[in-house]
Amino acid sequence: MRKTTLSFLFAFAALALATAAGAASTFKTEHVDAELVNDDASAVPGKPTWVGLKLRMAQEWHTYWKNPGDSGLPTRIQWTLPEGWTAGEIQWPYPQRLPVGPLMNYGYDDEVVLLSELTPPANAPEKPATIKAHAEWLVCKDICVPEKGDLDISLPVSKSPPKKNPMFQAHIDRARNQLPVPVPGWKSEASMTAQALVVRLTAPEGAEAPPALFFPDQEGLIEPAAPEKVTRAGRVLTIEMKLADPPPKEVKSLAGVAVSDSGWKGSDGRKAYDFAAAVGATPLAVGGTTETPVGGSVGGSTLAALAFAFIGGILLNLMPCVFPVLGIKVMGFVQHAHGEERAMKMQGIVFLAGVVLSFLVLAGLMLALRAGGSQLGWGFQLQSPVFVTLLAALFFVLALNLSGVFEWGAFAQSMTSNISARGRYADAFLAGVLATAVATPCTAPFMGAAVGFTITQDALHSLAVFAMIGFGMGLPVLLLSYFPALLRMLPKPGAWMETFKQVLAFPLYATVAWLTWVLGAQAGNDAVLALLAGLVLVALGAWLQGRSVNATGIWRTALAAVFVAVGIVIAVPTAPGDREVPMASGEKWQEWSPEKVKELVASGRPVFVDFTAAWCVTCQVNKRTSLYNFQVAKAFADRDIVTLKADWTKQDPRITAELASLGRNAVPVYALYVPGESKPHLLPEVLTPTLVLDEISRLPAAKVAAVTPPK
Amino acid sequence: MKRLAALTIAALCDAAFASAPPGQPAPGFTITDLEGKPARLEDYKGKTVVLEWNNFGCPFVQKHYRSGNMQALQKRYANDVAWLTVNSTSRSSSDYQAPAVLTKELAGFHAEPARYLMDDPGAVGMAYGAKTTPHMFIIDPSGKVVYNGAIDDKRSTDLADVKTAKNYVVAALEEMKQGKPVSVASTTPYGCSVKYP
Repeated sequence: MRKTTLSFLFAFAALALATAAGAASTFKTEHVDAELVNDDASAVPGKPTWVGLKLRMAQEWHTYWKNPGDSGLPTRIQWTLPEGWTAGEIQWPYPQRLPVGPLMNYGYDDEVVLLSELTPPANAPEKPATIKAHAEWLVCKDICVPEKGDLDISLPVSKSPPKKNPMFQAHIDRARNQLPVPVPGWKSEASMTAQALVVRLTAPEGAEAPPALFFPDQEGLIEPAAPEKVTRAGRVLTIEMKLADPPPKEVKSLAGVAVSDSGWKGSDGRKAYDFAAAVGATPLAVGGTTETPVGGSVGGSTLAALAFAFIGGILLNLMPCVFPVLGIKVMGFVQHAHGEERAMKMQGIVFLAGVVLSFLVLAGLMLALRAGGSQLGWGFQLQSPVFVTLLAALFFVLALNLSGVFEWGAFAQSMTSNISARGRYADAFLAGVLATAVATPCTAPFMGAAVGFTITQDALHSLAVFAMIGFGMGLPVLLLSYFPALLRMLPKPGAWMETFKQVLAFPLYATVAWLTWVLGAQAGNDAVLALLAGLVLVALGAWLQGRSVNATGIWRTALAAVFVAVGIVIAVPTAPGDREVPMASGEKWQEWSPEKVKELVASGRPVFVDFTAAWCVTCQVNKRTSLYNFQVAKAFADRDIVTLKADWTKQDPRITAELASLGRNAVPVYALYVPGESKPHLLPEVLTPTLVLDEISRLPAAKVAAVTPPK
Repeated sequence: MKRLAALTIAALCDAAFASAPPGQPAPGFTITDLEGKPARLEDYKGKTVVLEWNNFGCPFVQKHYRSGNMQALQKRYANDVAWLTVNSTSRSSSDYQAPAVLTKELAGFHAEPARYLMDDPGAVGMAYGAKTTPHMFIIDPSGKVVYNGAIDDKRSTDLADVKTAKNYVVAALEEMKQGKPVSVASTTPYGCSVKYP
């Protein structure tokens, strides 16, 4: 009995002590500790001061942002203030993505401080003011609990300049640092397509766009759980989000927060960018299609792009298609290492000019055609079967030469002996043109980033970037011509050169094989046969020429020329584009047509479309790793998905139009059409089997179940 | 028959999150009610169907049942529509209630939906894109979704809000009765997240 009384006494004493010490009252629930926190130790009449609602959540529990995402409820505060005081809106720190099964919430775990600006009237009496708040929040883990509490805090009012309240400074500073801020120098744009909301942020000159996520202020605008597609190219950051289904109507402007862990240049290390923009009617494609205004000077990020282009150009020299051509050029230099220096320097310069000019011509052509409405990517010239055939024949001739089947006649002797200087320059220039022409098959995949950059730039900047790639590519040869000492470091001309030359032939033969395959996909089996027959004649001609090194060979040279000419005539496809494109046998991939997709989807079958091209290396890699993967093929079959192949190897305006309607202008594109859904799901450009399987497994259940109707 | 049911369920289990926007055909389904009897959407062809996503553990659902709001709607439209209450709470969730418990809950609230359907694998919910409890769908007699969204415009757990809220489901059903198109066909649903596996 006595013991009980004692413990009561102790408990009472403890309670009394606690009440005396606690100036700010903490409101505790099972899941949340809530209290009001003040930034300034005292408020100045007429001046705003910050007061926050601090919520500390139990582990794994969370409360919500102003847009709670798929479910939930934003926290609310109702202030009861002394006479004349005013309270501003809640300033929301940026939220986190909180996944809940297949759904996504935007909110806070651990702790959040929701700051509001309170302003006492100018005539507020200098005595402690009681600030009261009625707060309601929904706190969820697996289950949700709505909670509310009445909180208060006593805040002295004084005309003397306020001191910071040390008690909560760390919490308040943290919250303040998480508030979204406008960042000067950055440009915000937004657009809405049939299925996507696209946000584009452009960094000021000299800054790079960081990776970031976007949180729209408005609810029901996007599917919060769908992954955000983030693309960065130099200064431009694009975030593509899946629109809600049904899509929102009449969205004229977009406000939200872009959050980057690495901060925004010019924001003092703040992570949350306060985004606001009108929603444009013209779609901003991912990677961008509209022009970015460019200042008069070449800025830092353009400089960075130029630097990368330059390095990329140097690397091009190591590509299997380019290396042999340069090999020939270098061999010529080796022979001349002890020759006339000035002439050699000039040759180097002329070669470089040839490379740069060819790059400019190709890039200019691409830009001009693109401005004219054609959707072209780098490597577009490979869409022409004639071009591919001629390139294959040219490579074959070069390879035969390297193999030693024949020596160049008078034409190429300029490379190795001292005929007229003019001939040598023409030759150097042609070598530059040739190097560029042969480089394109290797560069098409390699140049993705550069082309991506130029898409967002005006023509002048684009051309500058392409010129820089050319400069980088031609520079090693120029250096060799200027510093013959470098060449002297190579072994003396001799037998090794012949061996080296012959070895260089093999990458070229490999390129011919690849081009033959490309042609096969473009123009069919017959075109391949014609090309191979033509190449046989070319080989015969080359061999004849090789036999004619002695003086009496003029007739043979003529005959050789005839063979080569006839060979090429046979090889060139007569009616390019008219031939059937056969599908490789054993493939379950049918030929694509927009009508077919519509029909199949209308009949209730899901359709997967592979937009591809033989010259697109990424497409081939994806086929090998993912699309033709056993499990993926089985999953396609199991789910009764019709697989279609839209082959862009040669130009096809229907495919170009379809790609444009999907917001793309290049292959690969992978689209999954689901019956009952107006828009297809787009898969990323680089596939993995898991990724494809995941996408397939997301097919709606009932539509799958519909295959087994109960009777 | 058993095998067929198993197949259907297996197919349903692999489901992924989709949506049922207004104007589109409503995804079909076959699931069981509290007594274990199969219920098919197509059984109600030619009738207006209301789907109500439910979880009695959710405070937003409690708001509409403790205020008597949801039961009142079920009774008011008992003759005109088939009111199907669907529970997609996963068996692994602490909110999961077995059919016997749910039968008691319904009796306790005097609730009278036409059927109460168990969707604990979550497949039907995911096919419709049901995000919250409650989340309401109206399907017209031709089998087309005509409303997808919240029950009303007062996002709260406060019972008092029910009286002052604009009830979207009532508005839509009344418009349908008068042969008018549903003017507000989609809203953002509010509530607890559906407890999918």
